[in-house]
Amino acid sequence: MRLPLIFMACSAWFLAASAWPADRTLSVTIYADDLALVQDRRDIDVKEGRQRIEFQEVSGQIRPETVSLAAADISIIEQNFDFDLLTPAKLMEKAVGQEITIVRVNPATGAETREQAQVLATNGGVVLKIGQRIEVLRDDGLPVRVIFSKVPDNLRARPTLSVSIIGAHAGTRRATLSYLTPGLGWKADYVALYNESDAKIDVQGWVTLTNSSGTTYDNAQTLLVAGSPSQVDGAANNYRPSPRRSTLQVPGTESGNRERLGDYYLYPLAERTTIANLQTKQVSFLDVHGVPAEHGYEFRNRWLGTAETPVSAKSIYSFSTSAHAGLGDQLPAGILRFYMRDKRGDPQFIGESRIDHTPMGSTLSLTTGDAFDVKVHAVVEKRTRIATFDWQTDMRYELTNALPRSVVVKLRQEGLWGDSSIKAESQKSTRSSAEVAEWAVTVPANGKATLTASFETRY
Amino acid sequence: MRATPRACAMLGLAIGAAPQPGSVLAAEILAEPPSDLIVTVYRAPYRNGGSIDLDDLQGFALVSETRIVHLPAGRSRLRFEGVADGIEPASAIITGFPGGVIEKNRDARLLSPAALIASTLGKPVELLRTIRKTGKTERLTGTLLSDAGGGVVFKTSQGIEALRCSGLPETFSFEPVSGLSARPTLSVEVRSPRAETKQVTLSYLSRGFDWAADYTVTLSDDGKSFELGAWVTLANSNGVGFPSAHTQVVAGTVNRANGEEEVEPIDIGGPILARCWPRGSTSDVSEIRMFKLAHDDLKANAPMPMAMRVGSLQEVVVTGAKKVQQEQLGDLKLYRVPERTTLASRQSKQVRLMDRSSIPVYTVYGAEVDVEEDDAVSTPAHRLLRTKNTAANHLGLPLPSGSVAVFGAVQGLRLLENESDLRDIAVDEEVEINMGESPDVQVTANKEKVSVDPAQDMPPLVPGVSLRSVKIGTANRVAISNARPTDVQFELRLQLEPGARVVRADHRLGTKNGRPIFRLRVPAHETVTVRYQIQRTDDRILRTP
Repeated sequence: MRLPLIFMACSAWFLAASAWPADRTLSVTIYADDLALVQDRRDIDVKEGRQRIEFQEVSGQIRPETVSLAAADISIIEQNFDFDLLTPAKLMEKAVGQEITIVRVNPATGAETREQAQVLATNGGVVLKIGQRIEVLRDDGLPVRVIFSKVPDNLRARPTLSVSIIGAHAGTRRATLSYLTPGLGWKADYVALYNESDAKIDVQGWVTLTNSSGTTYDNAQTLLVAGSPSQVDGAANNYRPSPRRSTLQVPGTESGNRERLGDYYLYPLAERTTIANLQTKQVSFLDVHGVPAEHGYEFRNRWLGTAETPVSAKSIYSFSTSAHAGLGDQLPAGILRFYMRDKRGDPQFIGESRIDHTPMGSTLSLTTGDAFDVKVHAVVEKRTRIATFDWQTDMRYELTNALPRSVVVKLRQEGLWGDSSIKAESQKSTRSSAEVAEWAVTVPANGKATLTASFETRY
Repeated sequence: MRATPRACAMLGLAIGAAPQPGSVLAAEILAEPPSDLIVTVYRAPYRNGGSIDLDDLQGFALVSETRIVHLPAGRSRLRFEGVADGIEPASAIITGFPGGVIEKNRDARLLSPAALIASTLGKPVELLRTIRKTGKTERLTGTLLSDAGGGVVFKTSQGIEALRCSGLPETFSFEPVSGLSARPTLSVEVRSPRAETKQVTLSYLSRGFDWAADYTVTLSDDGKSFELGAWVTLANSNGVGFPSAHTQVVAGTVNRANGEEEVEPIDIGGPILARCWPRGSTSDVSEIRMFKLAHDDLKANAPMPMAMRVGSLQEVVVTGAKKVQQEQLGDLKLYRVPERTTLASRQSKQVRLMDRSSIPVYTVYGAEVDVEEDDAVSTPAHRLLRTKNTAANHLGLPLPSGSVAVFGAVQGLRLLENESDLRDIAVDEEVEINMGESPDVQVTANKEKVSVDPAQDMPPLVPGVSLRSVKIGTANRVAISNARPTDVQFELRLQLEPGARVVRADHRLGTKNGRPIFRLRVPAHETVTVRYQIQRTDDRILRTP
């Protein structure tokens, strides 16, 4: 008696599990901007003539307009994406005019009474016609079970894609379903350990995949594309953030041996992987040791920037992605986190910086944060009008260093608009662009340095 | 009798069924709980001074856990359970594996009633229905059809029904599910050449931490020196505690590239919602009320966001016997708590940072005057305490940002005088504590018409300016009154438009940060009046001869 029961339960379990076709192969190509191309190959059973085929386990955020189905000897009539969800209220609503079974349960005895009823309306409450009488379902609060005979055709637990096709002949054939979906994305994450004694960094690169598409992709062959294809309806893409400090100092000109697609770099994952819903997954793609890095300080002052109290200079680390004295790879956009060992030898986090897609051979200069001990106090000393449209601005920059070693601060005065000229300065500046004057100021250990400059501006 | 998947799988093998596709090939192993912990707490990156807000900790921490793992040979999936709930999975680093890491995963789905329903969808489930009167429970095997929109629909041999719409006590009994863990879990796929026991280190950044320095300044009776004491206050709002951890805090501002919007979602799950068809009865009044009731019901049943559940922090622990030790970390300052300490879940903790005494201080009253303003309204001056962060002043150590509480003594009674914020102050920098407004020292600024040439009482200040070339009809007058029994030092700073300058004044004029300033001494119970004249650039363009 026991064994058949187990067997019955198990056959139900096997049926449910076999919702996954054994011969299904998934390949997922993920772009960096919350977009993925899913190619789903599976065997479908096709009858001869017109029929509807449902594809379950597709992305919950599928863009139905991008769906294409390819299989031998079929012609497609229409594609539908049903997002009418199966809820108790919908079930009752669709049963209007139809027969349902109600089971009244006697609260005193537990005895059940079965009756057939017709659903008349579900507006606010359920109105039933039982025999020739009209009743409101559970108006008296007594327990009544409602049993429906079937689920209406287009109600689903999850949004479902269905395709109506005409099969030329019956038989199982290989079908390829491909579609675009948001909800899958990736970015790169880098871990850089800076060694202060020999000024070198060890860098590890990880690809971080995120899946919030509502579906799990089992055993998928995964390919990551570095670069952002333009999307028509991507509202988020229309917004360009205001320009920030450029991390790329010198764009590189070297080519690596990475696979490319057009102008994009491809990062295939070595092994098939399961991308579960709401999962963050990381796969390594870069591991380089002992890359020379430079540590410096930078202070940027906006035009007429004057401060009441000294402001910390930025702590800057720069290194190359070149094949000889650098990382030797192109870097997909992501976040680089810097670590440094403390006195006990434990790595400690010292700041992070976002990098853009970076070609090989570039020089990167990344900010990790504010220097506690190196500060700059910029002051507009005087502003004088020397002619109707000419102004003279005297600036004084006081640099302090509480570190026991001397430092060089790259001091940048911005906002010069190209028509400003420097009349006098206590140290020679370089003009990296018409907009910016730059000084490399050496500040002695536990000491101070003062820089003055006088600008003439047309206004 | 329930059939478990394991029993089914055995049966499946016995009857020669194909293995389930998509199954995990790797063996699943659980790492041991951490044997050693290091927690380094960083401040909220955008807070420049002030205390922490226990209800909303904006800082973060670097957590390093040392754990023992027992690896089998070949590929395995290693689970690290009980990582901090605020983990930023992308920042996780795992070291110590001989064969390297294939991939790292953070599963955001936690075991909850709603997650059980979602993962049992389309699979068999057992329905339990109890008759209240008799206590008899009926068990029915069925299939879960839908959990969409907060309602549950299932199918049994009798037909299709909705959960808990009949008014009978109904619930499900689930098959065991895999992939749902009780606590936030990080897993890695690793490959090991042989079976061995290794010690590995898992480091990650986690949100839900913060720290600040809280200073107390106790002024001496004569107001010429003070004692400075400081606590490091650190807090953890994670649901996970860190027992017996090496604890550090880092001062200085570190760059964070992650915006708020990039927090990876975590599905903490929710209750089983069994929403039904409209249940209005003949006694209901209107549909609008129905809607409102349904809406309230929705709100009451909706899973609360994590932060709301956390609530306030529970416990405050103070340890004061030993002070933190400071060391340099790149361009940051690291403060090490001397002994291992337990940073429990939802706890704030205080450790002594420093105690210094006999720090000389001088008091200055100050006010800023906008020369364009005409009104003759008296405003109170600000009282400022100033000192310099040098060894000669018994300081000379980095002061991390935080809040300052200033206490004074009146007839032996300690009184709080003021609370204010302090920014990061390096060695040799000036320290200024704003004590707020002082009603005893009032500043009144107005303009007066100059009918006679004031050249006699206001000598020109700027060399080369010809007196005759300046035609200014007004002079500014600022009166500073002192109702205190002692003389005060006073600093009057002027706010000028660009290019304007003071051409005449009856007191010595200095500059501070590029702006004109009068440094005055106001005797007790007296009023000092400063008069000066401003020349604007549009008055006349002057060339010095």
